[in-house]
Amino acid sequence: MLESLAHLVAAFPYAIVTGLLVAVICAVFGVFVILKRVVFIGIALAEMAACGIAGALLAGLPPIAGALSLTLAAVAILALPFESRRIPRDAFMGVLFVAASSVSVLLVSRSGLGLHEVKALLYGDLILASPSDVLAIAALLVPALAALLLFLRPMLYAFLDRDAATVLGVKPTRWEMLFFLLLGLVVATASKVAGALLVFCYLVVPATVALLLARRIQTVLALAGAVAAVFTMGGLAVSFAADLPTNQTICTAGCVLAAIAWLIRSAGRT
Amino acid sequence: MTTSAPIIRCEHVSVAYGRREVIHDVCLDIPRGILLPFVGPNGAGKTTLLRAILGLLPVRSGQIRTLFGGKPAGYVPQQKAIDPLYPVTTRQIVEMGLYPELGWWRRPQLEQKARVRSVMERFGLSAHQSKTFGELSGGMKQKAMLARALVSGSEVFVLDEPTSELDEDTEREVLSHLVAMARNEGKTVLMAHHGLEQAAALADTVCVVHHGRACLATIEEARDLLGGTSSVGRGAHA
Repeated sequence: MLESLAHLVAAFPYAIVTGLLVAVICAVFGVFVILKRVVFIGIALAEMAACGIAGALLAGLPPIAGALSLTLAAVAILALPFESRRIPRDAFMGVLFVAASSVSVLLVSRSGLGLHEVKALLYGDLILASPSDVLAIAALLVPALAALLLFLRPMLYAFLDRDAATVLGVKPTRWEMLFFLLLGLVVATASKVAGALLVFCYLVVPATVALLLARRIQTVLALAGAVAAVFTMGGLAVSFAADLPTNQTICTAGCVLAAIAWLIRSAGRT
Repeated sequence: MTTSAPIIRCEHVSVAYGRREVIHDVCLDIPRGILLPFVGPNGAGKTTLLRAILGLLPVRSGQIRTLFGGKPAGYVPQQKAIDPLYPVTTRQIVEMGLYPELGWWRRPQLEQKARVRSVMERFGLSAHQSKTFGELSGGMKQKAMLARALVSGSEVFVLDEPTSELDEDTEREVLSHLVAMARNEGKTVLMAHHGLEQAAALADTVCVVHHGRACLATIEEARDLLGGTSSVGRGAHA
């Protein structure tokens, strides 16, 4: 395993750096995605990013521009307060997901690309990460993480108890909007490199493990990042050694960790 | 009833949800340093009026003057306002009350930490400070939210049905804290409350909210008002 890991580091350094950055940053954002009970937003935004990439391909624009513009447009709508509306946020995300999934395939069917290229462009493959991907991730995702951690207190208060936070002088709408914009930025950029499934996995699985095992928000955030890093490296090593699809191997490794965490939590309760 | 200068003044206040007006032309002077139960049947507009006083709902017409300085009111919502899923300890919930002083970046100073500690001791929360909100009993949850409001140093406290999910003993304990805050510390405590007879044990004056109208009244006047008559109680002004 260690030997395989050493070969992996030598052969795919960009995949490792990109994978770790995407894993840790998505995992930290994922904690709030779960706490806010908007898990579906992860996959809906990832599909919006894929649709944006497809549109950009057809229009001859940079893929990241397409991913960002469509994801941020969706986020601007999803960040609105839905509590008093007739249609819940989940239903709206469902419509966006269906629209984005189908339109992206319709768009690439007109692009003249081969199936393998289309799959790689729309759904990403971490192992194919390039130096420019590392640069994009570092330039966009690291500042997004820094902003989340810097404004952790008002964001947490706004999510925890909206009315009490308002009375205390927090501006929940402002902080929620900022969170969703940062989330859109993270998902759009990460989806271009890692693909929709892996980004969704990073948003949901590590946060679930951390919330099962830790009791303080700071610990949960740190643990989510650490868990994501561990199963990313494990998944990459297994995928490299056994010649398995990278993204799916990482996702499976994450789910195995989640199952172990659930067993530990259950054992702790009995 | 106390005759001190009002701490909150409602001037011809109307509040609406969309086109439906829930509070109609309410004029009310709330005196400083009393415990004032807001009583009335379900759907009368008690919570709506309190939320408007807190600034959580916009008024359609009229004005609400809050005359308690720059500090925000201490708000104690119903327990379900906080999702038990959140990995936030009781201490962190109470420290939330320091936000007006700390803002988004300052760390709590020694005096502020001591204040948090002292309020937690007062409510018997010290032994539970590391528990998450979801792990607390109903009574402890209520006390944690009350402690959060008290830590903010507010003069006015607004509570939404604070005893609705408590057993009798815990209800008595929470109410005794509220009475002490008003009588011993001069705080103004406004609380939405279902039962007039229970309110009678806490205060001489209540705010009757009925059919979107509100006025201050003695317990006897409140019985008449809620019994169907429509005279205007004390505390209302033109």
